Amino acid sequence: MGNEVRNNLKYTDTHEWVKLNGETAHVGITDHAQSELTDIVFVELPEVGKEVKKGDELCVVESVKSVSEIYAPVSGKIANINKKLEETPETINESPYDEGWLVEIELTNKSEIDKLLDVDSYKKLI
Amino acid sequence: MVKRSPLYALQKKLGAKFTEFAGFEMPIQYSSIKDEHLIVRRKVGIFDVSHMSNVWVTGDGADDLISLTTVEDASRIGDKKSQYTAILRENGTVIDDTIFMHLDDKYMIIPNAGMDKIVTDWLNKKAEEHNINSKAENVSDKYVILAIQGPKSREVLQKLTDVDLKNVGFFNCQYIDIAGINCIISHTGYTGELGFELQISPTNHAEKVFNKIFEAGNEFGIKPIGLGARDTLRLEKGFILAGNEFAGGRTPLEATMSWTINWDHDFIGKKALIKQKEKGDYERLTCLICTDKGIPRNGCEIQKDGKKIGMVTSGSLSPCLNAGIAMGYCHPDYREKDLVLDIMIRNKPVKARVVKPPMVPKDWAQQNKILTGKLFI
Repeated sequence: MGNEVRNNLKYTDTHEWVKLNGETAHVGITDHAQSELTDIVFVELPEVGKEVKKGDELCVVESVKSVSEIYAPVSGKIANINKKLEETPETINESPYDEGWLVEIELTNKSEIDKLLDVDSYKKLI
Repeated sequence: MVKRSPLYALQKKLGAKFTEFAGFEMPIQYSSIKDEHLIVRRKVGIFDVSHMSNVWVTGDGADDLISLTTVEDASRIGDKKSQYTAILRENGTVIDDTIFMHLDDKYMIIPNAGMDKIVTDWLNKKAEEHNINSKAENVSDKYVILAIQGPKSREVLQKLTDVDLKNVGFFNCQYIDIAGINCIISHTGYTGELGFELQISPTNHAEKVFNKIFEAGNEFGIKPIGLGARDTLRLEKGFILAGNEFAGGRTPLEATMSWTINWDHDFIGKKALIKQKEKGDYERLTCLICTDKGIPRNGCEIQKDGKKIGMVTSGSLSPCLNAGIAMGYCHPDYREKDLVLDIMIRNKPVKARVVKPPMVPKDWAQQNKILTGKLFI
């Protein structure tokens, strides 16, 4: 529990995952990250349409005791946000790679994806 | 050098995640802060709070020294009674808040974590200056402190002692055998639930006591609880955390502890408090429950109509209310019950309602016999 990784995803060293679907990518936090945070109780998501650059603060995830910034792993425009998390932030704990995704980004620079960590490199980190 | 409780290895075995708090590496949580919090509200939990200090105050003048250095008149506090009080500087600001226990002809003070030396030195200095025949001795390293808190706490401990715990009243203390080990028991706590605190010395007896309590509590669903839940439990009740609420120098009047002050005796800081009381325009600790989504944190500004009127000193999500809650110092004009203020979280106003503590009522668990802990207000 707490260290699941998935082969079809790319990762960052700050524990975000990225799933490419054509021109957009879904972004979330890894199983390792959710398990370290425990009890996610609040998520602040960006506005749809907002432009973000790789490395910008994307959203804020809070547990009872901690506030964690989540950084944009890729640049682009926020195409979609996981509204459901505003009511049930614990979904991130329960399903970090599926139901618990944070945002969908319309990519402005697809080559950024190649610079992210692959599953083996991320596994070494955790 | 970071200190550890004598129960560190046991805690590790029980799955604790650790944090550094006031120079101690202590469990912050075992399973989850939310779950641990709700276990204490509904059933019973056991906390190792050995980071708290132990100071014996002895000698013919022990009464006089306690009365001089705290806002309480010790002669009022009989044998086998515990008292919550504050130790002040001459300027009226709090050095530490503490419980003292009157045991026979001496007192044990329980200063906060990391305050043992400061409090001991202060008391000894004042004894000397005022020519009082009393001595403070720092025995923090000789004690393990366990807190057993929750509606089932008395039933759990009753299985391990011949003393009828119904006779150990609220804020009473005495020597007692628990699982065959002599301890000091005090019917006190920091959770707002029925609960007891045990002072155990020598410390190598503590593991046995912990394990016996854990075993006895099994049928009631006892769990080990970390400092994370200890903090959220106390905040829901509006209890002060010294490191947060006294930071920067606050008087007991500001910290809304005036109920602890016994004005009929002389104590260090009294003159300054009288002056402050006469002036009356000081900030006061205020409890707030968020009506918007958002979790206030220490340092968040409190505003009314865009104007700063205060600052949050403690904030968290309330696991019982599933809403943000906070304590902070507010200008006296903005403390009326039900007044709606803005707490600035990441530069955005989050609406919060002024409430009188406790933020979570005493019978919360009875009123909310639900298992998820979700309740929006």
